[in-house]
Amino acid sequence: MNLMANILLNVLAAFLVGSVLFGLQRKIIARIQMRPGPPLIQHLLHTFKFFIKETVFPKTAAMPFYVAITVILCAIWIAAVIVGPVSEGSLLILFAIFAIHKIVEHNAGSSSGSPYGKLSCVRAVFSAAAEVPLFAVLILIYLQTGTMNLSDIITYQGTHGALIFSIPLAAMMFFVLILSKAYYYSPLNITLGKDLVSGFETEHFGVLRGFIMLSESISWYMLLWIFLTVFIGGLTPIGYLLGMVIITALVSLIDAITPILNPNHSVMTQVTLAFVGIVGTVLMIFYL
Amino acid sequence: MDRLKSTAWLIFIISVLAILYALIFNPANWMVYAISLVFIPLAILSLGLVSMARGKKEDEEGKTREPFIGY
Repeated sequence: MNLMANILLNVLAAFLVGSVLFGLQRKIIARIQMRPGPPLIQHLLHTFKFFIKETVFPKTAAMPFYVAITVILCAIWIAAVIVGPVSEGSLLILFAIFAIHKIVEHNAGSSSGSPYGKLSCVRAVFSAAAEVPLFAVLILIYLQTGTMNLSDIITYQGTHGALIFSIPLAAMMFFVLILSKAYYYSPLNITLGKDLVSGFETEHFGVLRGFIMLSESISWYMLLWIFLTVFIGGLTPIGYLLGMVIITALVSLIDAITPILNPNHSVMTQVTLAFVGIVGTVLMIFYL
Repeated sequence: MDRLKSTAWLIFIISVLAILYALIFNPANWMVYAISLVFIPLAILSLGLVSMARGKKEDEEGKTREPFIGY
């Protein structure tokens, strides 16, 4: 297939599936809380709706960075789609993309001029202290498989079995990372905590909010895609879809029944889980 | 048409042309990656800037006059 067509199709699929999964997340959380909840396509509808809403750029915003940051957010997740499903490239590039995502959260908050955005921007730096240890999962995967290349990791799992069974604590670490990126009511996502209204997105409304929501749908799809590819192996499209629905349902269950932690508790929880994951996995690799 | 709309239209047309170029002429991989990273986000943003609603001119005063703007 033509490379550009391949990229466009994958980006479109990531956006649509990611949006519906966010809708599913809201639906499950609502049902657990004894509410009917919005329809599954609500997140998708919101995204489209914002594209035709009136948009005003705040006086306090640092232009043109306030607008450019939304383009950067979209560009990095398109890069993730290219490195992931399109070319099955290196996990190291995906690590770089996650790192840039933290910088984008930081700068989106600071460029808006809103106090909520600025607090969220500080929290983005704070939460990076928790997510960097969680990213050590990449080293653990390298220790186990001897490669950082996604296609080689899939091949490795074809002969040695899924990594989720051989290094389960590393899979747990990545799951915590996914949980911390969940859009709705995540106990660990302190940058979007409801005490900050919408965090770094508070002052990005109208078309810019729609654009951010589009990028975040792609990011959710990609996070789940990476988890399934790295820990279970190359699946069929139906397998990926089923896996994504199961992980989203699990995340929603946790989101619905746990309170949103304060920044200190959130970071300490993640660092503790990362420590347990790293030490446990290294012991498992070398002594079992 | 104001300056924002005309700039958005220009960026949208350039982005769509760049994407079509990559689709039709199949250039080298690195060029397709560069076009995807730059022009897909710009196409979406400019489409949004074109399609978004703008407030009435007479309402602008009430929206920009804020009691407190320096945080």
